[in-house]
Amino acid sequence: MFQSRTGKLKVMGVKILLDKAHVEGIRYFDVYRREGGYQAAEKALKEMSTDAIVEEVKKSGLRGRGGAGFPAGMKWSFIAKPEGVPRHLVCNADESEPGTFKDRYLMEFLPHLLIEGLLISSYALGSHDTYIYIRGEYAWIVDILEQAIEEAKANGFLGKNILGTGFDCNIYVHRGAGAYICGEETALIESLEGKRGNPRIKPPFPAIQGVWQRPTVVNNVETLAAVVPIIRMGGDEYAKIGVGRSTGTKLISACGNINKPGVYEIDMTISVEEFIYSDEYCGGIANGKRLKACIPGGSSVPILPANLLLRTAKGEPRLMNYEGLSDGGFATGSMLGSGGFIVLDEDQCIVKNTYTLARFYRHESCGQCSPCREGTGWMEKILKNIDTGNGKMSDIDLLWDIQRKIEGNTICPLGDAAAWPVAAAIRHFRDEFEWHVLNPEESQKRNYGLAHYADPIYVATP
Amino acid sequence: MSDSTLFKVTIDNITIEVPAGTTVLNAARKIGGEVAPPAMCYYSKLEGSGGKCRTCLVEVSKGSEKDPRPMPKLVASCRTTVMDGMEVKNITSEKVIDARNGVVEFLLINHPLDCPVCDQAGECHLQDLSYEHGKEGTRYEFQRRTFKKHDIGPYIQLHMTRCILCYRCVYTADQLTNKREHGILDRGDHAEIATFIEKSLDNDFIGNVIDVCPVGALTDKTFRFKNRVWFLKPMDAHRDCPTCSGKVTLWNRGDEVFRVTARKDQWGEVEDWICNTCRFEKKKTSDWVIEGPRMIDRHSVISQGHYAGNVGTTIPTETFEKVHNGRQPNLLMDIHDVSNVNKQHIRLSLLERPAHSTDFTPNQD
Repeated sequence: MFQSRTGKLKVMGVKILLDKAHVEGIRYFDVYRREGGYQAAEKALKEMSTDAIVEEVKKSGLRGRGGAGFPAGMKWSFIAKPEGVPRHLVCNADESEPGTFKDRYLMEFLPHLLIEGLLISSYALGSHDTYIYIRGEYAWIVDILEQAIEEAKANGFLGKNILGTGFDCNIYVHRGAGAYICGEETALIESLEGKRGNPRIKPPFPAIQGVWQRPTVVNNVETLAAVVPIIRMGGDEYAKIGVGRSTGTKLISACGNINKPGVYEIDMTISVEEFIYSDEYCGGIANGKRLKACIPGGSSVPILPANLLLRTAKGEPRLMNYEGLSDGGFATGSMLGSGGFIVLDEDQCIVKNTYTLARFYRHESCGQCSPCREGTGWMEKILKNIDTGNGKMSDIDLLWDIQRKIEGNTICPLGDAAAWPVAAAIRHFRDEFEWHVLNPEESQKRNYGLAHYADPIYVATP
Repeated sequence: MSDSTLFKVTIDNITIEVPAGTTVLNAARKIGGEVAPPAMCYYSKLEGSGGKCRTCLVEVSKGSEKDPRPMPKLVASCRTTVMDGMEVKNITSEKVIDARNGVVEFLLINHPLDCPVCDQAGECHLQDLSYEHGKEGTRYEFQRRTFKKHDIGPYIQLHMTRCILCYRCVYTADQLTNKREHGILDRGDHAEIATFIEKSLDNDFIGNVIDVCPVGALTDKTFRFKNRVWFLKPMDAHRDCPTCSGKVTLWNRGDEVFRVTARKDQWGEVEDWICNTCRFEKKKTSDWVIEGPRMIDRHSVISQGHYAGNVGTTIPTETFEKVHNGRQPNLLMDIHDVSNVNKQHIRLSLLERPAHSTDFTPNQD
């Protein structure tokens, strides 16, 4: 229990994924098993039908934890089941969104939780060859996962005739070569097939034609790990955690100017303010500074100024969940995204931050479709000019027009991901951009500072 | 659902019935005219092409009879199949025109706009597109992208700066030749077409990449700098070729065959792929059986003044003789008396290399 800033007593958040993360040796099979691991897998494979598992996941309300938040059970039910064609489950461990590092934590500390989740999900989907596509930069995690797979195999939880049920399943770890775009599910599939990681044009969706044109489900690491507690406690119980359509728990990787950066499991009932300032989570802004802005869901979601981050446009406290963070749409809200929570204090420059993100997206665009290939490079160049004191007033409107023409017109969401941060920065921090243009020399020496970005927003009451 | 099922689709308020599985773009092409969206990367003869350039975006204002909801985003018409009762807006949608203008601007910001020295000028789809959707000025104030030059052999000239990365040449090499030697290297705005290790493209059918290229990124080296396409007369011709159909279009000036291409339909797509021998080696009129003038769209610059009276145009009446009481015009000056440019003894069409400045400038000796 702790005293929150609002003064009311609160029970520590529910933890169902990371509750055992600090148990000594939980990385290894014996300890994981001793702590109750693989019981959910035994329950699923021995006592449940494949349809019943899918039904539990549907009931749980689990939403994709990779960023888009699409209901996982529904995604599973879309998978085509043509006679004689193998199906595949692919685990998306290409965690490349700047600010997001929750999957890394999960795989590093609890590899068997993922393996167990993969086993249950593979069984439910009928995947005998399941792949973990992991980003190349996570080289050491590949070893951890492969060791865990070997251990699971040696103990009869992978391989042939698992637990005597007649179900065969192998898990392979496939390393990416360092491309952000390969986290997009169809680009990931292309890359897994050994091709250039260009996103495919949809339809057909992977559930119909995925890896090697076979029906495929691609899920994020955290989504698949969450299947374990869902089976263990039942979908209905899982759905009781959280609020509304934000069920269960979510891992948030918090970073930036906070006292306690790290990976936190939240039950989606707390407010953003509590998350930033409570000692259970971020522990407040570092060095006694004030909060200026925050990118709450990984680099591609809209940035919010402090006032709109902590309270919605209606003046209510903003909650840390899917609905809470997107309250108000893009005009005054943002997204939960992948849970990469990036906090910026009063000394951070929004223009520089936007330029950095634009540079990233320009570098990571696959170059397949014109608006993204050309637009991301153009935005980066203009932002660099503004950042270095060479911008013009018309550049701000031009940036707005470029992002508007990229958004929604590209093959994959990378175009949107590149456009949103620029749009949000101009939407909420236009005066900071204008200050850079009007004060080219001063802007090179000092920051714009907090300005009015934390001022309370007065809501007219009828 | 059998293949013969007909779907009713309405594009820009014009309703047409097409077989199930037809794409919106192909349905629009059946209607024809301005209703057909432009396509820079889609190529009906190349499997898997399309979806990349985003010029063919259209608005689906009604999904189908069963599910009338509109589609939330503009869709690539070349990769979207029609549904029964679908309603599509192309030129009647402001959103589409706005997005298309945006795409054209994106395609042009890094394009060198070197049309005056580009062999593709006059038959370039990007040129057409920029006339229709482009602005006079640019809002792009940065250096345009350049690339390290790659030599891809004696037949094909690669100008990477002009490339719009439509991937057509990649699909062509994949689907027509047994081993693709070029591809896309790197990613994003520095992605380029190259062979990685300097290599010449010399497969029997690789010349077709020139015809599928919508811009001047891949041009015919044997025709390079020799003539403007609108000065040439395209004529259908054939020869008995052991490797291909031998059905080509010859591009003549006088009796000289300046270049040989495949025959292209009204959407700029080749009718039959042709082999390298036909394209690059047979540059004499005597190599060919000429069938007659090639029908060229009257809006194309290539159609100007050629075959008057033959291909849907009328010969203007010659009035000089009439008004001068039957006198022929006097030849006041033969240009060759005063200029050595375009030396008459040099047959540009027979040079097995690009034309060079020395082929045009007067001899100094």
